[in-house]
Amino acid sequence: MNSAVMKKTMYFFVLPAMLFYCVFWIFPILKLFQYSVTDYNGYVQSFNYVGLSNFKTLFQEEILGVSVKNTLIYTFITVIFGNIIALMLALLLNANIRAKGFYRSAFYIPTLFSAIVVGFIWSYVYMPGDGLIASFLTKIGLGDVDTNFLGSYGKALYAIIAVDIWKNIGTSTIIFLAGLQSVPYELQEAGRIDGAGRWKLFRFVTLPMLATSVTINITLSIINGLKAFDYPFVMTNGGPGTSTNTLIYAMYKMAFTDQLFGKASALGIISFALIIAITAICVFTLNRKEVSA
Amino acid sequence: MKVSKMKSAGLVLASTMVLLSACGGNNNGNGNAGGNNTAGNTTTNAATENTTNNGTTTNAAADPVTLTMLVSGAKAAEDADFELETLPKLVKEKFPNVTLEVQKLPDEQYYTSVKAKLAAGEGPDIFLVFPNMANMGAIEVAKAGYAADLSGLSFWDNVSQAAKNDMSYEGKPYAVAKGMDILGTYYNKDLFAQAGITEIPKDWASFLAASDKLKSAGITPIVMGDKDPWVIQFGMYQLSANSVYPSDPTFDTKLQTGETALTDEKWVKTVNQYKELYDKEYVAKGSLGMASAQAVQQFVDGKAAMIFTGTWDLPGVTATGASEFERGFFSLPGNDAGQPVYASAATAAGYALNANSKNLEIGKQIFEYLYDGQSPLFQAWVESNPSISVFNGVELKNEIFKDVLDNIQSTGHAFYFSNQMWPAGVSDVMQTKFSEIIGGKKTTAEDVTKAMQDKYKELYKG
Amino acid sequence: MKGIAAKKLLTHLVIIALVFINLVPLLIVLSSSLRSPKNMTNPLNWFNEFTLESFQSAFTRMHFMSALWNSIVLTSVSVFFVVVLAAMAAYPMARIRSKFSRFLYIFFLSGLVVPGQMVLIPIIQMIKGLGIPMNQYTPILMFITCSLPFSTFLYTGFIRSSVPEEIEEAAHIDGCSMFRRFWQIVFPLILPVTVSVVITQGVWIWNDYFFNMVFITKASDAPLPVAMLGFLGDQQNPAQWNVLFAACILCALPLLLAFLALQKYFVGGLTMGSVKG
Repeated sequence: MNSAVMKKTMYFFVLPAMLFYCVFWIFPILKLFQYSVTDYNGYVQSFNYVGLSNFKTLFQEEILGVSVKNTLIYTFITVIFGNIIALMLALLLNANIRAKGFYRSAFYIPTLFSAIVVGFIWSYVYMPGDGLIASFLTKIGLGDVDTNFLGSYGKALYAIIAVDIWKNIGTSTIIFLAGLQSVPYELQEAGRIDGAGRWKLFRFVTLPMLATSVTINITLSIINGLKAFDYPFVMTNGGPGTSTNTLIYAMYKMAFTDQLFGKASALGIISFALIIAITAICVFTLNRKEVSA
Repeated sequence: MKVSKMKSAGLVLASTMVLLSACGGNNNGNGNAGGNNTAGNTTTNAATENTTNNGTTTNAAADPVTLTMLVSGAKAAEDADFELETLPKLVKEKFPNVTLEVQKLPDEQYYTSVKAKLAAGEGPDIFLVFPNMANMGAIEVAKAGYAADLSGLSFWDNVSQAAKNDMSYEGKPYAVAKGMDILGTYYNKDLFAQAGITEIPKDWASFLAASDKLKSAGITPIVMGDKDPWVIQFGMYQLSANSVYPSDPTFDTKLQTGETALTDEKWVKTVNQYKELYDKEYVAKGSLGMASAQAVQQFVDGKAAMIFTGTWDLPGVTATGASEFERGFFSLPGNDAGQPVYASAATAAGYALNANSKNLEIGKQIFEYLYDGQSPLFQAWVESNPSISVFNGVELKNEIFKDVLDNIQSTGHAFYFSNQMWPAGVSDVMQTKFSEIIGGKKTTAEDVTKAMQDKYKELYKG
Repeated sequence: MKGIAAKKLLTHLVIIALVFINLVPLLIVLSSSLRSPKNMTNPLNWFNEFTLESFQSAFTRMHFMSALWNSIVLTSVSVFFVVVLAAMAAYPMARIRSKFSRFLYIFFLSGLVVPGQMVLIPIIQMIKGLGIPMNQYTPILMFITCSLPFSTFLYTGFIRSSVPEEIEEAAHIDGCSMFRRFWQIVFPLILPVTVSVVITQGVWIWNDYFFNMVFITKASDAPLPVAMLGFLGDQQNPAQWNVLFAACILCALPLLLAFLALQKYFVGGLTMGSVKG
C-alpha cells in the first residue's frame, strides 16, 4: 500500500459519522451503565445510587428467566426456520423457469410493510371466531379446532414468531438467490459428470458457494431475533401473562409502566451482554466455517 | 413523605364520599356560581371577537400561537371526535389566533410518549393526567413539576370537591377531571329475561346463580376481552369494593405503613371470587385471545349477556350490533348475603397544563373557556363525554346509570378503583398473574396477591 | 423433453401455491379495503364489492397527504445524510490497514446489536442537554445514527473489494487532493452500494414508528406509520376492519409503488450488500 496516497489524515473522513455515532448512540449506552446502579425512574430528575440491588432483584425475579428463554426461542426458530424456508424458496426460484422475477417479488412484498401494519394484518389472521384462520377452518368444517393462537400460553410466542418469519423471508430469499446465482454453472456440470447425486451436489458444490450469504442471513436474523420487540408490542402486549415478553419488551415495560428505569437499565445491560456474546460466538463460528468450506 | 402519602390516602377516601354526595346535591342554584368567569359570561353564545376583546386577553391575542395536546384513547369511529376535531375547532372560534394540535395515542403508547417528552422538557402544552397515584397520576406529575398549579382558575367552585381533591397534590389542583367513572356490569335485559332471571342479583350467591341460569339456558353469561389485560381490573375492582374496603376503609393507608399487605385474606377472597367466574366458565372461554373491542362487539351482537367495564365504554356498549336489545347497568355484587352492595366509582382522568410551557397563560384561558359551565365548548364537551359530570348543574345524561348512581348518592356505598392508591405497576402484576389463572395454569389466588405485594413493596417509596 | 416440461409445470404449481399462501392475508386485506365500511360479510367471501368508501374514510382519518409528505421528508433527508456520512466514514476504514482502522470498523458494526428502545431515555436526555429542539425533524438524528453501523459495513466492504487502489494512486500522481479524490473518483464508483444503502435503510426509516411516536407531538407532523397508530384500537373490532385495512393499504402503497417501479434496484441493492460485503 502506498502510504503517501492513503495518508493518516484520511481519518478525518470518519469524524462526522463518529460524532453522530458517539453522541447519539455510544454515550447514551454508557449512560445505561450509570443508571443501572440507581433508582432513577426515567422521569423525575433525581435519583440515588443503590449499588447492585437492581441486578440482585432481577436475578431473583422470574421475569428475567422468562424473557431470556422467550428471546432465545424466538431467535432460534427465526434463524433456523426462517433460513431453511428461505433457502428452499431460493432453490425453487433458481430453477430455470419463466416468471422468476414475478415470484421473487411476490415473496418480497411483505418486507415492505411497516411492522405496525403487519401486526394489524396478523391480528386479523389469528383472531378466534372471525379471523382468517378461524373462519377458514369453519368453512371447511373444522370449526372445533382451537384457534385461540394469541390467547394461549403455549402458542402465542410461536404465533408471533411465524409473523416475523413471514415478514423477513423475502430478504433472506433474495440474498440466497444472489448466492446461488454466483455458483458457476461449470462447477455444477463438473459435479454432475463426476456422478455426484443431488444431495452431494448441493452439499459439496452449492452450499460452500453460498457460505457468504449464509453468514449474512444468519447473522442478520440472529440480531433481529435477539432485538425482537415489534410484534409483542403491537400484537400481544407481551401476553398472555408474560408468555411473549422478549428481553427488549420486558425492559420497555419496566422502564415505562413500572417506571423503574434503573432496573430496566440493569436488564438492558444484561441483554446487551447476552446479545453481544451470542452474536460474537455465531459470527466467529460462521467465519471459521466459511473459510474452511 | 410518609405523612403526605397517608394524607392523600385519607383524602381519596374522604373525597370518594364527598364526590358521591356532591353529585346528588346539584340543584340548579349552584349553576350560577360560575358567575365569576371573566370571559364568555355575558356573551355566552357569541364566541367571536367581541368576547376576546372584552375579555382578559388583549396583548397576547394578536400573535398566532400553536398549542400541542397529547391524550390517550381511541378515536371515535363515527361522528366527530371531541378531542381531535371539535375541541380544536371551537378553540379556534373563540381564540382565532390559537391553533390546537391534538394527538391521540392508545394508552400504552401514550404513557411512553408523554413521559419521554416531559422528561425531555418538551412536553405537550396540554396532556391527560390520571387521579392520585395511578400511572401518570396527578401526585406524581405535580411532584415532578410537570403539571401547572391550577388553583388560580375561577371555575373550581363549580367542580365537586372530590374530583378536585383526587387531582390535587399538597392541596393544590393540577388537573380538571373529566368526571366520575363507575365500574359496572352492562347486561342484556332480553337475554336475562330469556334465562328467566327476574331481578338484578343483589349479592354474590345470587350473581353466581344468575350466571348459572344463563349458562344452562345456553347463553354465554359474561364476555371479557382479556387479550387487553387491563380489563381484568374492571371486574376485580368491583369485587374489591365489596370484599376489601367495606370492612376496612383505610386498607390502603395501612398498606403504606406496612400494617397490612395485599396478601391479606380480603384480597385473596377478592381474587378467588373473580377466579370463580373463570373456573365455572361463566366468562366465555378463550377470553385471552379476545381483545376488549371484540368483546364489546360480542356483547353488542347479543352473543353474551354481560360485560364488565366502565361508564366510559357506554358509546361502544350501546352501538348498534347484530342484535337489538335493551341494556342495563348494575354494580357487580361481590357482597355476602345480607350486606349492602358497594359500587366502584372514582374520578376520571382529566386535562392538565404543562408547567414549563411557554403558552401556559393561553392554556389557562382555554381552560377557563372550556370549563366555564356554559360556553359552546363546555356544552360540546359535556355532550361527548360519557363520564358522569362533576360540574354542578349538569344533569345526568345517561338514564342507564341512574339506578347505580342513585344508590351511591343515597347510601354512599362506593369505593375508588384500587389502583389509584397503588404505584403504577402493581395492577400490571395483578393482570399478568391473573392471566395465568385464566390460561389454566396452576396459579392460585395466593400467588396473585403475593406477586402484587412484592411489586408494591418494590415500587412504593414512602 | 416431455419430462422436463412436466417438471417445470410442477415447479410452477408448487411456487404458485406457496405464493398464494404467502400473500393470502394481503389479498384478504385488499378485498376488505375495497368494501364499504358497513359491509360486514365474512372477509373470506372476498372481492364481493368494489367501492372506495373505506379508502375515503381512511384517507381523511389518517390525514394521508400530510402524513405522506412527512414520511417523504423524514426518509429522504435521513437517507441523504446516511449516504454522505457512511460513505465518508467507510473510506479510511477500507483504505488504511491498521489496528486502529480495524477497531473503527468493529466499533461501528457493534452498534448494530443495540436496540433503540433500550437507550431511548438517555438519548432524549442527550438531545435535551445539547439544546436540540424536539420537533418533527428530531427523529432524523436517530435515523441517521441507527443507520450508520450497517451502512458503513456495506460501504467498507464494497470499497475494499471493488474500487481499485490503482485508480486513486493515478489520481494522486496527477495532483488530485484527497477530498476531491474521494468525491470525484471513489464516490461515483460506489454508486451500486449507495443504491443498496438507500434501499435497505430507506425502507426501515420509512416504516419506523418508534422514534417517530416518541418525538412527534402534532398529528399534522406525523408520518404514515404514526398515523397508523391511531388505528391501534380498531384492530380487534371486526366492525371496523374495512376502514382499518384500507388504511393499511394506504400506508404500504407508496413503498409498494416504489418497489414496482424500481424492482431491479431493490433486488440488486439487497444482493449487493450480501455478496460483495
